[in-house]
Amino acid sequence: MSALLRPARWLLRAGAAPHLPLSLRLRAGGPGRPHAALCLRAAPVAGGVLSQARLYAIAAEKKNYLQEEPTSSHGRNASQFDWALMRLDNSVRRTGRIPKTLLQKVFDNTCHSGSPGGNQALLLLRSCGSLLPELKLSERTEFAHRIWDELQKLGTVYDVSHYNALLKVYLQNEYKFSPTDFLAKMEKANIQPNRVTYQRLIAAYCNMGDIEGASKILEFMKTKDLPVTEAVFSALVTGHARAGDMENAENILTVMKEAGIEPGPDTYLALLNAYAEKGDIDHVKQTLEKVEMSELYLMDRDLLQIIFSFSKAGYPQYVSEILEKITYERRYIPDTMNLILLLVTEKLEDTAFQILLACPISREDSLNDFGSFFLRHCVTMNTPAEKLKDYCKKLKEAHMHTSPFQFTLQCALLAKKIDLAKALMKALKEEGFPVRTHYFWPLLAGHQKEKNVQGIVEVLKGMHEIEVTPDQETYINYVFPCFDSVKSVRAVLKENGCLHEDNIFSQAELRSEAVNGNLDYILSFLESNTLPFSFASLRGSLILGFRRSMDINLWSKITELLYKDGRYCQEPLGPTEAVGYFLYNLIDSMSDSEVQAKEERLRQYFHQLKEMNVKIPENIYRGIRNLLDSYHVPELIKDVNMLVEREKTDSRKTTQPTSSDLESKLEKLKAENQPIGDVLKQLILLLCTEENMEKALELKAKYESDMVVGGYAALINLCCRHDNAEDALNLKREFDRLDSSAVLDTSKYVRLVRVLGKHGKLQDAINILKEMKEKDVLIKDATVLSFFHILNGAALRGETETVKQLHEAIVTLGLAKPSTTLSSPLVTLYLEKDDLPTALEVTIDCYEKYKILPRIHDVLCKLIEKGETDLIQKAMDFVSQEQGEMTMLYDLFFAFLQTGNYKEAKKIIETPGIRARPTRLQWFCDRCITSNQVETLEKLVELTQKLFECDRDQLYYSLLKLYKVNGDWQKADAVWNKMQEENIIPRGKTLRLLAEILRNSNQEVPFDVPELYEDEKHSLTSSPLPVEDSLQKELLDACHRKKNKDAFNIFLKAQKQNIVFGNETYASLIKLLLMKDNPTQAMHVKNFAETHIKGFTLNDAANSLLIITQVRRDYLKDALTTLKTALDLEQIPSRVAVTRLIQACALKGDTESIQDIQKLVNGLEDSIGLSRMVFINNIALAQIKNNNIDVAIENIENMLTSENQSMELQYFGLAYLYRKVIEEQLEPALEKISIMAERLANQFAIYKPVTDLFLQLVDSGKVNDARALLQRCGAIAEQIPIVLVFCIRNSRRSGKAPTMKSLLELIPELIEKEEAYTSIMKSYVLDSDVASAKALYENLAAKDVKLNDLFLKRYAVLLKKAGESVPFTEPPESFEFYAKQLKDSKEDPL
Amino acid sequence: MAGSAARAGMALRTNIGRPVAFVRKIPWTAASSELREHFAQFGHVRKCTVPFDKETGFHRGMGWIQFSSEEELHNVLQQENHVIDGVKLHVQAQRPKTLQGDQTSDEEKDF
Repeated sequence: MSALLRPARWLLRAGAAPHLPLSLRLRAGGPGRPHAALCLRAAPVAGGVLSQARLYAIAAEKKNYLQEEPTSSHGRNASQFDWALMRLDNSVRRTGRIPKTLLQKVFDNTCHSGSPGGNQALLLLRSCGSLLPELKLSERTEFAHRIWDELQKLGTVYDVSHYNALLKVYLQNEYKFSPTDFLAKMEKANIQPNRVTYQRLIAAYCNMGDIEGASKILEFMKTKDLPVTEAVFSALVTGHARAGDMENAENILTVMKEAGIEPGPDTYLALLNAYAEKGDIDHVKQTLEKVEMSELYLMDRDLLQIIFSFSKAGYPQYVSEILEKITYERRYIPDTMNLILLLVTEKLEDTAFQILLACPISREDSLNDFGSFFLRHCVTMNTPAEKLKDYCKKLKEAHMHTSPFQFTLQCALLAKKIDLAKALMKALKEEGFPVRTHYFWPLLAGHQKEKNVQGIVEVLKGMHEIEVTPDQETYINYVFPCFDSVKSVRAVLKENGCLHEDNIFSQAELRSEAVNGNLDYILSFLESNTLPFSFASLRGSLILGFRRSMDINLWSKITELLYKDGRYCQEPLGPTEAVGYFLYNLIDSMSDSEVQAKEERLRQYFHQLKEMNVKIPENIYRGIRNLLDSYHVPELIKDVNMLVEREKTDSRKTTQPTSSDLESKLEKLKAENQPIGDVLKQLILLLCTEENMEKALELKAKYESDMVVGGYAALINLCCRHDNAEDALNLKREFDRLDSSAVLDTSKYVRLVRVLGKHGKLQDAINILKEMKEKDVLIKDATVLSFFHILNGAALRGETETVKQLHEAIVTLGLAKPSTTLSSPLVTLYLEKDDLPTALEVTIDCYEKYKILPRIHDVLCKLIEKGETDLIQKAMDFVSQEQGEMTMLYDLFFAFLQTGNYKEAKKIIETPGIRARPTRLQWFCDRCITSNQVETLEKLVELTQKLFECDRDQLYYSLLKLYKVNGDWQKADAVWNKMQEENIIPRGKTLRLLAEILRNSNQEVPFDVPELYEDEKHSLTSSPLPVEDSLQKELLDACHRKKNKDAFNIFLKAQKQNIVFGNETYASLIKLLLMKDNPTQAMHVKNFAETHIKGFTLNDAANSLLIITQVRRDYLKDALTTLKTALDLEQIPSRVAVTRLIQACALKGDTESIQDIQKLVNGLEDSIGLSRMVFINNIALAQIKNNNIDVAIENIENMLTSENQSMELQYFGLAYLYRKVIEEQLEPALEKISIMAERLANQFAIYKPVTDLFLQLVDSGKVNDARALLQRCGAIAEQIPIVLVFCIRNSRRSGKAPTMKSLLELIPELIEKEEAYTSIMKSYVLDSDVASAKALYENLAAKDVKLNDLFLKRYAVLLKKAGESVPFTEPPESFEFYAKQLKDSKEDPL
Repeated sequence: MAGSAARAGMALRTNIGRPVAFVRKIPWTAASSELREHFAQFGHVRKCTVPFDKETGFHRGMGWIQFSSEEELHNVLQQENHVIDGVKLHVQAQRPKTLQGDQTSDEEKDF
C-alpha cells in the first residue's frame, strides 16, 4: 500500500498540497523524472499504454480524507477498501499491470460488500484501461461499462472524478464515442464537467481526427477562462495528424511557444506517434534528434510507445531502429513486458517476440527463464501452434528459456487447448524430449469432470498417435471414473480402437475392482488370468478391497492363490515373504478399533490360511506381533504365529539353532551333569517366540530347578498372550520364590493384571498392582492408557467388581492419578446397562472422591433421551452447587445439542448473563469433529451467534475443519458468506483453511490467502494450561525445534519453581543437549532427574550419545564411567560410541583403558557389532603413541604367525592403524611397520598386511612410497580380491577419484576387472572428473571390453551433465534398473 | 480418546526411523518415475510418491522418497544441486514429528 500512499504523503508533508490543482499534485508525486514538477504533463494521447502507474494517487488521497472523518459505518468499508487497494496496488507495483482475474475478484468482492463507496468505484474504473494489456481494447471498455452499471445499481453515487476516470479509460482503449452524448449524460446526472473533462473530450475528438469538434470545446474553455495546458496542445498535434495534416501538426509546436508554453516530451511524443502511424521513419528520426537537441529526455516507455504505433499501423520493419535506442533501464522491464503482452493481444506477436528477444536478460544463469509470460499469453490468445513452436525453438537457441516447449505445453494443458497440446507434444518428441504419460492427465481430468466419454476417447487416441501408452494410473484415476462400469469402458475403447495394451488395461481393471471390494471378480480373474504380473502392484488395492468386503472365505482363497500359484509370486521375494508382507500391510493399514472390531474374522482368516498351509517368515511375524500389541489385541498374536515358517531357517540366521538342536544339547549337558541354565533359558525364549506354550511349560516342569528369572519372565508373558491365567499366576509365584526382588518390565505386569482381571482373579491382580508400586515400576503414559483399556474392557463386559476393585487399587496405590478418562469405566458399567440412576450416582461419587465428573455429558444425554426429569434436576443441582451455575448451563446446553433438542438448547444459551467459555466450546467442537456430527456443530455455531464474548471466528474455524473432513466446499463457501453477514473479520488461519477446502474441490478462492508467520504458528496451538504442563510443553516444544538454549533455560526455570517433569521430558532434553554437544548441561539435567525421579536412568541410545559427546569433548574418564554404568544396567551401547571411545584412548596412548574396555565388553562384541580388529589396531596405535613401536609390531606379528590363529587372514585388516600412523606422521613407526609387512609377505607369504599398507599409501597420496613398495614386493599386484574390496568401498565415498586414478596407474592390470573399472568409473562420476572418466572409457573401448549398462549409464550421465555429447546410445532405463540387472546376472551365472 | 492416542502412535510408527527425503519444486514434467530414476544414483529407493491432484491432472510439485538407509539419504542431502528436467529441486530430510519414539517392544531381550 505504501507505494500508493507515498505520493500523497509526500505532498501533505510539503504543505502546499491543498492549493495545487489536482493534476499537478498528481504529477508532482510521481518519481522518475526530475523536471516533472515543472512541466505540466497531463495524460498522454490515446493508446498511452505505459504511463499510468501513478493512477491510484487520487484513490489513495481520498482514502486519507476518509480516515480523517471516521464513522462507525464507514469503518468496515474502509477496511475492505484497504484490502482491495492493497491487492491492486501490489499488482501494479510489481508488474505495472493487473491480471483480469484479479480485477474481477476485487470487483465481485466490492459488489458483495453491499454498498461500495465512491473511492472503490473510482479504483475499479481506473483499472480498466491500459493496466489490462492482456485484454482486447473492446473487452476493457466493456468491463468498465459493466462496473459502471453494476455499481450504479448498487447505489454508488458518481461524481465528476468518476466521469473523468471513465473518459480516461475511453481514451486509453481508443473507444469511439460521442463527446456530446457524454456531456449530455453528465448534465442529466447533474454533474458539472471540469477542466479535466474538457481536456479529455478534446483528446477524444482529436483521436478521431475531428479538429472541428476539438476547437468547439477549446473555444468553450476559453470563454470559461480555463487554462489551456500542454496536454491540450499535445492532443491537437494528434488531431491534426489524424486529420491527415502533418504540417499543421508540426505547427502546433510553434503556436505553443507563442502562447508561452514550451513543448515538453509529451508533445514531442504525440508528434513522434503521429509520424510512426504514417510509417515515416525519417521524420521520426529527425524529431528524435530535435528532442535530444532541446535537452529533453524520452524515457524507454515513450520509445516503446513509438514502437507500438509503428507496429499497429503496419510498419514492423522500423521496430528494430527504435529498439536500438532503448536503454533497457531495469525499472522499465515491466513496461517492456506489458508492451509485449499488448502486442500479442493485438495479434502482433511477431513484433512482440522481436522485442522479447531484444531484452537484455542475463543468460548466464540457465536456471532463470525469461519469456514465460509471453508464451502463456500467446497460448491464451490462440496464437497458431506453428508460430509458437518457432518461438520456443528460438527462445531455447537464444538460451533465454531452458524449457520453452514444456512450459508452453503446460499452459496449453492448463487452458485445456487439446489441439495445441497435441501439436506441442509432437514437437517435443521431434526435439528429442520425452513425452510422458502424465502429460495427458490434465486433458483427461477435464473430460472426466464433465463425464465426456467422447473427449476421453479422443485423448486416448491422441496418446496412441504420439505412441504414449496409458498406464494403470491413467485408467484408474482418469478413465474409469467417467463410466458406470469398467466393462463398459472396455467396450467403448474397443469400439473406438483404443485398446492397445490389453494387459495394462486388465491390471488397471483388476486394481479398480479390488479397491471397490469386488473380491469375487478378483478371484475369478486371478484364476483365469494368463498374463504375468506382480503381486506387489496389486497389494495396495487388494488391501483396500479386503477391508471393504468382509467375506473371509474370499480373503483366504485369494491369498492362497497368490501364495501357491507360480504366476503371482515369481518375484525375488518368493511366496512366503510376499504374503507375509501383505498380511503385515493389511493389519498396518487398519486402525486399532478396526482390528478390535474384526478380531474374530481375522482369527478365522488366519486359521483358514493355516489350513491352506500358507506360511510367513518369522521376521515379518514379529512385525505383525508388534502391531497387534500396539492395537491392544495381543490375543491374535498366537493365531498369526501358527503361520510362521519353521522348517526353513532363514539363510541370514544359520547360526541360530532350532529348538530341537537346543533340546538335544540340553539333554546332553544334563547327562554330563553340566550347568544347563543358559541353554534352558535360550530354549525357553525360542519356544516363546514360536508361541509353543505347551512345550515351554513342559520343559519348565522338567527342569524346574535350573530355571532362571529371564526364562520365567518370558514364560509369564507367553501365558498371558495365550490368555492362560492359571499358569501365568503359578509361574509368577515361582518367579517370586526364585528371586523376590526381581522386577518384570512394565508391559508384562500390565498384561498380568489384564489376564488375571479377565479371569476373575481379582485379588491376584490387585497383588500385582501392589507389587508394581512396591518395586517402583516405571509408569509411562502408555501404561496409564493400558490401565484404561483393562478397566474399559471389563466395563463393557459388565464385570462390575473387576472395574471397581482394580480402579480402586490403581488410584489408591497412586499408580495413576484419577482422571475423567481413567475413571470413566466406572460410569460406563451402568450406562451400558441403562442403569441411569446408578450411573449418575457413580459420577457424583467420583466428584466427591476425586473432584472429577467422568462421562457427565453422556449421562446427561441419556437422561434427556429417557426424559428422566427428576434425575436431570438432581444432576443439575449437584453441578450447579459444586461447579457453579455457568458450568451446569453449559453441560445442559451440550446435552440438549447432542440429543437434537435444539429449542431447549437455544433457551439455555440465551440465559441472561451467560458468557462464552472458550475451552468448553472448543471441547464440544472437537467432539463433533471427531464423531463427524455436522448438524450438531452447525447448530452450536448458529445458537451461539449472540453469545457474549464468543470467538465467532474460532467456531467457524471448527466448522470449516469438519467441512474439510467431508470435502463439502459448498457449505464452506456458505460459511464465508455467513461470516461476512455477521461482520466477522476472519483470522489468517481461517482464511487459509477455507482456501484449502475450496482449492481441494477445485474452486476459485475469492480472496487473498494470507501467509503463515512463524510466531502465529506458535500461538495457534497455545491454550491455557497449568504452569507445570505449559512449561513441560514449552520444553518439549523447544526440544522438538532443537532449541537447546531455550530448552535448558526452561528447565532451569522449572527447577527454580521446584517443578518436576516426566521421565520422557528429561530424556528428550538430555538427548538434545548431547546432540548439541553440551555434556555439562546434559549431566546437570541427568543429576537433577536422578535425584528427583526414582529409578531414572538413561536408555541405551542416550548413554551412547553421552559417550560420544564426552569423547568429543575429550572427557575420556567420564566416558569410560558412562560406558561402565550402561553395561551395569545391561544395556547394549552403540558400536559407534564404543569405537569412538577406543579410538580416542588410542590417540592418547592410553593402552590400559583400551584393555579395560576390552574386558568390559567381553562377550558382548557381537551384540555391539565390534570387530576384534578394533582392539588390535587401537592397542597397537596406543603402544606406538607411547613409543613402544617394537612391542606393537611384535604383538601383531605374533598374532599373524602363531600356529592357532583366532582369525582368518583376510579379515585381519590393519588399514586403520596404517592410516592413523600416516596421518599422524609417525615416520619411524611407519618405517618399521613397512618392514614388518614386507617381512610377513616375503617370509611367511602373508600378503594382506603389505597390500593394506600399499593401499593406504595410495589413499594418502603417497604415491611414490606406494610405487617403491610395489617394486619391492611385486606380489601386491596379485592381491586382486583385496584391491577390489578397497575399490568397491572407496567408490561409495566422494573425493576418491585421485586415489582411484593413482591405483590404476600403479596396477594397470586392474582395468581388466569388471568390479574395478565399474568402481573407478563410479568414483570419477561422483567427483565429476570428466577427463579421467574419458580416459578410462577410451582405454576400455580400445581393449574391446564389453561394458555393462550400469557403467555406460553412469558415464553417459556424467557427460551429459558436463554438456558433452555421448558417443554411444545412452541406456534408456534407470540406474536402479541396471544395478539390479547387474546384480541378478551375477547371482545367476547360467 | 484412546483411539486418538493410538492413531498418533500409528502415525509415529510409520514415520519413525525411515529415511525419507521431502522434495519440493518438482517441475510439472516429472512424475514419480523421473524422481525415482534421479535418486536411484544415491541408493535404493524403496518408495517414491508424487501425489497428483486428480481434479487438475497436475501434481502439486511435492514428493517423498524413502530410502533403505540413513546413509543413502545422507548422500542425497550432501549433494548440493538436484536438477530434473533443468529445474532445481528443493530437497530436505523429512523429520519425524516427535522425539519420543520409544515404542520398541522390549519383549524377551531384557525383562
